[in-house]
Amino acid sequence: MAEIPKLVSQRLQTMAQLKDHPEPNLLSAFVERSLGKGERVQVLEHLSWCANCRELVSLSATHRESSAAVSIIPGSSGWFSWPALRWGAAVACVVIVGAAVSLHQKWESRPTTAMVEARPSVATKLGDDNATAAAVGGNGNHPVTASPVEMADARAGSPLPQVVPGRAKEPLAELQDGQPEKSMNAHLARSGSIAPGNLGNAITRASLLPRWTLSSDGTLQRSLDSGASWQTIVVSTETAFRALAANGLDIWVGGSAGALFHSSDAGVHWTQVRPVANNEALEGDIIGVEFTDTLHGKLTSSTGQIWITADAGQTWHKE
Amino acid sequence: MRKDGLQPVGDISAWSDSAVTEIYEKSKGAEFGLTRANFGGVLAEIARKYLPADAAHHDLHELYASLRVEELALARACAAGNERAWEVFLTRYREKLYDIAGYITKESSAARELADSIYAELYGTGTRDGQRTSKLASYTGRGSLEGWLRTVMVQEHVNRYRRQRRLVSLDEETEEGVQFATPESEPAIPIDSRVEAAIDEVLAALPAEDRFVLASYFLDERTLADIARTLGVHESTVSRKVDKLAKLLRKQILAALGRRGMNRRQAQEAIEVDVRDLRVNIRSRLAQETGGAAFSNKKAEAPAGDGS
Repeated sequence: MAEIPKLVSQRLQTMAQLKDHPEPNLLSAFVERSLGKGERVQVLEHLSWCANCRELVSLSATHRESSAAVSIIPGSSGWFSWPALRWGAAVACVVIVGAAVSLHQKWESRPTTAMVEARPSVATKLGDDNATAAAVGGNGNHPVTASPVEMADARAGSPLPQVVPGRAKEPLAELQDGQPEKSMNAHLARSGSIAPGNLGNAITRASLLPRWTLSSDGTLQRSLDSGASWQTIVVSTETAFRALAANGLDIWVGGSAGALFHSSDAGVHWTQVRPVANNEALEGDIIGVEFTDTLHGKLTSSTGQIWITADAGQTWHKE
Repeated sequence: MRKDGLQPVGDISAWSDSAVTEIYEKSKGAEFGLTRANFGGVLAEIARKYLPADAAHHDLHELYASLRVEELALARACAAGNERAWEVFLTRYREKLYDIAGYITKESSAARELADSIYAELYGTGTRDGQRTSKLASYTGRGSLEGWLRTVMVQEHVNRYRRQRRLVSLDEETEEGVQFATPESEPAIPIDSRVEAAIDEVLAALPAEDRFVLASYFLDERTLADIARTLGVHESTVSRKVDKLAKLLRKQILAALGRRGMNRRQAQEAIEVDVRDLRVNIRSRLAQETGGAAFSNKKAEAPAGDGS
């Protein structure tokens, strides 16, 4: 990186002729990029001379970004407030980690009979009382071509619970039976990630919740272990993402050339959204995405435009 | 009427009743006991604060359209002591306050202390003219309420740190390993006023954002990622800008020194002189609040020399 002469640094420091500091309202609006161009320049002018305010703004911006990597399970929303289901959701989230990494490959490559044999072990981990019943199911009551996806579907739907009656007492089973479509677990299971053999581990790691962030090179990342490790979620290979909003299961990411993607199922499926208002499309880079709820959101573009939606991205208007 | 033909705001209270009513309804202030008159007063106060007296109605519309009116109504209702508003505020922000405090202080007891003190200020433990004064009354809805709370907490934390730092004893500092430098010898080379003037001229002529990048990177020693986050641009953009600015500065300063009668070689030598060898006006540095390293750069700075 280039250097500047020490004299220049010294003059930069001593030239400051500070007057009034901007109040927290303006500094926070600056961090959120919600100031008009004129005010933004005024605040920048002050910041360029004031180390104190640069400090405030930098700390605020850092925390703001880290808090954007929020838990995707809000504590206050309807069925998640039921403790058993909340635990169930956490269990299922963790299941994905182990499953995706190890067992999924193995599961697909096994002969069909091996897959059938795996079922009793699931029941064994969940509860010994169910082991026999599960074994019975595995021996013949189900098609032996079951893939992990089908397994997940079966648990969310009908066959497996019938074969393993005790399963209904498990949080995961209750969750999927009760909320097959709303459940993040059901969606994730359909993505092929759930591996029954990992349920035991999942229970011990049940307190871990998914978090979201953007890497410095603009890729979306998700952590299922409170930020200890991050996995890249491929949404678009052509877009460098620069802004992220997570609101419950709703995830919005925006980036270069007005690219905006939305997932309403915690990142399992993605849809590209093209903001258009009065036949004019958003063209600059999206540098800010804020959604106060699932419907109301605001985009900030690198050209200083503000785009607003009140219907989850169906329609937009430009400010 | 203004020269540009736009109608001045003048008396805010005379502004369109229907527009104020519309904003009031959008704010849902009625749920928290705010009357339309109360809220109209708040809007007028905000307009006076951010707009010049001769601002046009268009500016007023723009300002009001940018406000977070729901959060504004909630904050002002809390400041007025509405219980329902406090319930909502605590439900939405209590956990966030502690989360922010934890992030800032990195230590649980300090975080709790910080959050509790801010909470006390928000609730309003002090009184003025017999009225309880809540810090929430100063929220104007320009950004989100959460963002404002974050900035207020950061500000309080930095102030506390500075206050505490002033009270750190010599023994404590020695224990922390801070070395007190012996006074540096008297600078050998007096600073050339032409160099100072040339650098000042070039720095002052830079766009504010460029100067912000320079100060953040070279003075505060912030990372490219930090700066990019603050400006809402990509890290590589900041990296390119730093490189470009460093080259541009050197070129422009050399040119400015040339205009002040230095040949190229003299100019190059002048700007390459180590600042520690120069007479530095310490008094002017101490007179301003921002002297010294940034707050996060907690290493103690040795005095740069006593040249006053």
